[in-house]
Amino acid sequence: MNKALVVLIPLVIVGVLVIGGFGIYNGLVSAQEEAKTAWAQVENQYQRRADLIPNLVETVKGYAAQEKSVLEEVTRLRSQWGEARQSGDISKSLQAAQGLDSALGRLMVVVERYPELKSNQNFMKLQDQLEGTENRVSVERRRFNQSVLNYNKKIRIFPGVLFAGLFGFERIPLFEAEAGAKKAPTVKF
Amino acid sequence: MRRVATFILLWLMGIFWAVPALTLEVPDRPEGRVTDQTRTLTRNEIAALEQKLAVFERETTNQIAVLLIPSLEGDSLDDYSIRLAEKWKIGQKGKNNGAILLIVKADRKLRIEVGYGLEGALPDGLAGSIIRDEITPRFKAGQFYQGIDAGITAMMAATKGEYKAPKKKGRRSQSFPPWSFLPLVLFFGIFAFLNFMRRRRHFYSGDSTGWTTGGGFFGSGSSFGDSGGGFSGGGGDFGGGGASGDW
Repeated sequence: MNKALVVLIPLVIVGVLVIGGFGIYNGLVSAQEEAKTAWAQVENQYQRRADLIPNLVETVKGYAAQEKSVLEEVTRLRSQWGEARQSGDISKSLQAAQGLDSALGRLMVVVERYPELKSNQNFMKLQDQLEGTENRVSVERRRFNQSVLNYNKKIRIFPGVLFAGLFGFERIPLFEAEAGAKKAPTVKF
Repeated sequence: MRRVATFILLWLMGIFWAVPALTLEVPDRPEGRVTDQTRTLTRNEIAALEQKLAVFERETTNQIAVLLIPSLEGDSLDDYSIRLAEKWKIGQKGKNNGAILLIVKADRKLRIEVGYGLEGALPDGLAGSIIRDEITPRFKAGQFYQGIDAGITAMMAATKGEYKAPKKKGRRSQSFPPWSFLPLVLFFGIFAFLNFMRRRRHFYSGDSTGWTTGGGFFGSGSSFGDSGGGFSGGGGDFGGGGASGDW
């Protein structure tokens, strides 16, 4: 009877630990998957924006054909981004997306010089769509960062940290807003 | 020592002042569909808009809410709007068929925030032209009610048909088929019958202790059918779709 207990108690303890371990491990995996999904959403929005570019370039060309260099640059950076995304390298595709960001920004500055273009219905709609995708990117970026924070916290705090080391869960870097992106205004007293 | 204390005090003040200035607090989800914090609209105008949106929701299950705030206090329109959408969760859960018309009066800015489920029917370009063609010309003339009315009318026209009211699910609260009460009636009937028998027996046996448990049941039945007029539902998700404008 006593002997049986001696065997049973450690068995139960191990059992509880293993079952608890499953839960923690699964929690880490699902947090990681959430972060991945959130990242995919960010890329989707970038894709959406890239899809707008051919139409945008065509429209601008109709009014401002002499702005060839900016238009070509936008087109080039768009295909560069497509390649970078295909390669699956996150930091590369992010860099390309940000390059495209600034090229589009330049294009929008150029456009200011063409009032006829600016009052074109089609162009206005494109501008709405472009702004819309940019807003979506920033929304998805924030959600991505939230899920990454959640995941990174899980692999750092106590029970999770054991499994993170054991199974190689690595920290995911946050998506910092690019330089020149709209910033919150500074506060003055 | 004093300098340190002053520094800490300033620092603390910095925290407490800086944070609200950066992110303006979003009001709680209101009871009604139209909320005017600027006192621009009259009571009758609000009621008329409410009525329109309520009828529209009954027909399509799409939810549209309108909010007028005085100022963003330095916050960004897009950020405020998406936080608003995430807090209010306009639209039905799973269908995400909500939209918000946000107007910031002192900043002279407005935005139509579109839920995931309506992005197809009310794409950014269309939202933008509603703002440009329907709303801002009227706002420029100081006709706020007319602008909002034209805006939501256009939004409703755009989103009509994208989500047809499903036949069974979701409309249950408005039209209970009469037979759906049958099990309930039977249950209470049996209960009442037993109750009656019990009482009678008590009566005959001369037992004076009352049997009162039955009453509570009937009272609780009233909370059942949520009428279609209320601003219920919620759970709609937004992803930053829509368009902004100014006047």
